[in-house]
Amino acid sequence: MSGRALVVGVGMTPFRGFREDANLRDMAAEAAREALRDAGAGPDKIDLTVVACESDHFNRQLSPGPILQDAVGLAGKPVLRVEGGGATGALAVQTAAAAVASGRVRSALALGAETNGRGVDRPTAVEIMAMSADLEWETPVFGTFAAPYALMIVEHMRRYGTTPDQFARIAVKNRAAALHNPHAHKGMTLTVPQVRSSPPLAGPYRLYDASPLSDGAAAAVLADREWAQEHSANFRHRPPVQVRGAGCATDHPRLADRPPEMFPHFAAKRRAAQQAYREAGLDDPSRQIDVAEVYDSFSGAELQAYEDLGWCAAGEGGRAAEEGRFGLDGAPAVNTSGGLLGRGSAVGATGIAQAVEVVSQLRGEVPAPRAVAGARIGITDTHAGVGSLCAVNVFGRAA
Amino acid sequence: MRVLAVGEAGGAERTAFLEWEAAQRYRHALGSSAPFYRGLAEGRLRANRCRECGAAWFPPARFCRADLGPADWYDLPGTGRVISSAVVHSPPPFGGWDAPYVLASIRLDGTEGGITHRIAGEEAPRHGTAVRARFGAPAGEAHPLLGLFFEVTGESASEEEK
Repeated sequence: MSGRALVVGVGMTPFRGFREDANLRDMAAEAAREALRDAGAGPDKIDLTVVACESDHFNRQLSPGPILQDAVGLAGKPVLRVEGGGATGALAVQTAAAAVASGRVRSALALGAETNGRGVDRPTAVEIMAMSADLEWETPVFGTFAAPYALMIVEHMRRYGTTPDQFARIAVKNRAAALHNPHAHKGMTLTVPQVRSSPPLAGPYRLYDASPLSDGAAAAVLADREWAQEHSANFRHRPPVQVRGAGCATDHPRLADRPPEMFPHFAAKRRAAQQAYREAGLDDPSRQIDVAEVYDSFSGAELQAYEDLGWCAAGEGGRAAEEGRFGLDGAPAVNTSGGLLGRGSAVGATGIAQAVEVVSQLRGEVPAPRAVAGARIGITDTHAGVGSLCAVNVFGRAA
Repeated sequence: MRVLAVGEAGGAERTAFLEWEAAQRYRHALGSSAPFYRGLAEGRLRANRCRECGAAWFPPARFCRADLGPADWYDLPGTGRVISSAVVHSPPPFGGWDAPYVLASIRLDGTEGGITHRIAGEEAPRHGTAVRARFGAPAGEAHPLLGLFFEVTGESASEEEK
């Protein structure tokens, strides 16, 4: 190990419902250019690209690695593509950080892009999304991806008394935060009754409990300290940020195979968080983490994450949501970007866009009212399916 | 694949687009699940048991998921208990069921596993409700898994399971 990887540059496109003016490689190029300019380095200094694309069905481009890398001036360099459903972007950050930390490369670009927006017509999108469940046993019975999320939260409600109003508050909170983020897809002023009276999807989940599908891209430049000092013109001018820890774990992919006592919980999220916290030396996460981007694909998934990320006891997530414990002034402040509900989700880019927000917070570059003053530790949380694969990354201001 | 339209959109800065479609068609091997589907057609819910360690598996798998030993087939009683259920407001991707329909995760008796599947009726049954498998012909071009459904046979278990 040559030490922890530094995040020396971040950038992203706005997330939008449809980018009429840009295709997949255009968006990847926009994000990579912004991240490289943020680092103050040229593409010639990048040793490796890790491309994050989840779905060739949405993107219409198999083997996107060389194509996206070529669009940002990196043809000739090594590239690999990672995929892990909703955790794809977070896995790209982990992979790039590990490559740097191992000493095999000195710098790596994590580059995620996805066209999940209205360029893919709704019936086609529903069919493709359905295939992200277990094709043999779950796809045929899931009318919408809200269905498995609904099954989990219904059991959470039965066991702990969690209410739809409590998770509707998360839909309100995150869309309100997104109003202040120019990169966000769906900033909205909403009320709990508006969420509760939006069209029903499955069980207690309504349309506004669900995150939108977006077009977008995000990128991060990771490097060792010597590279940063030598090649990153902006490195000296702001607080350096490190990848402090990374965790990845899996659960039984099919809901019905999960032990009944764990049914309303993301077991893999617990394991991924514990691994990442251990690596980062965090033993009291809710006190030590200042800012977090949490995978709120559905509103209730955020309150489940409060528990599984170890910030409150199992069953207390609903009350925490009701009390607004993890709002913009919370400990930690959750989804200052607007989260998936507000910023939107371009799947492969999402975990990297989360890192963009967290790194910007740790540098003190996020403007009010989204700013978390004095933030020193931040995490990103993502999952595939309904928690079949979870990835948690910890970032911290380096000394 | 075929192009349906080439067009322009937007105001001052005009953008251009192609509209195209691709039809995908698959011959999908049911593989190790083939005996399960033959069972469904005969009104039997079949699962696997490892010949070496005795572990019971549903859904079936080619090899034991604990020790990769060879798997034998046996019939499940077809009864189980609801863990969680929800009314779903859009139809499944292969069709076959009208929305809204009731979907439940069910723990199946006679195996450690379970299935997420439809419960007949309009009400989402409570946790612990006893259900039984029923067999019919899947409608039209629906997925053959949709030939199966479950029916409520009893009230929810009196003891709250934690």
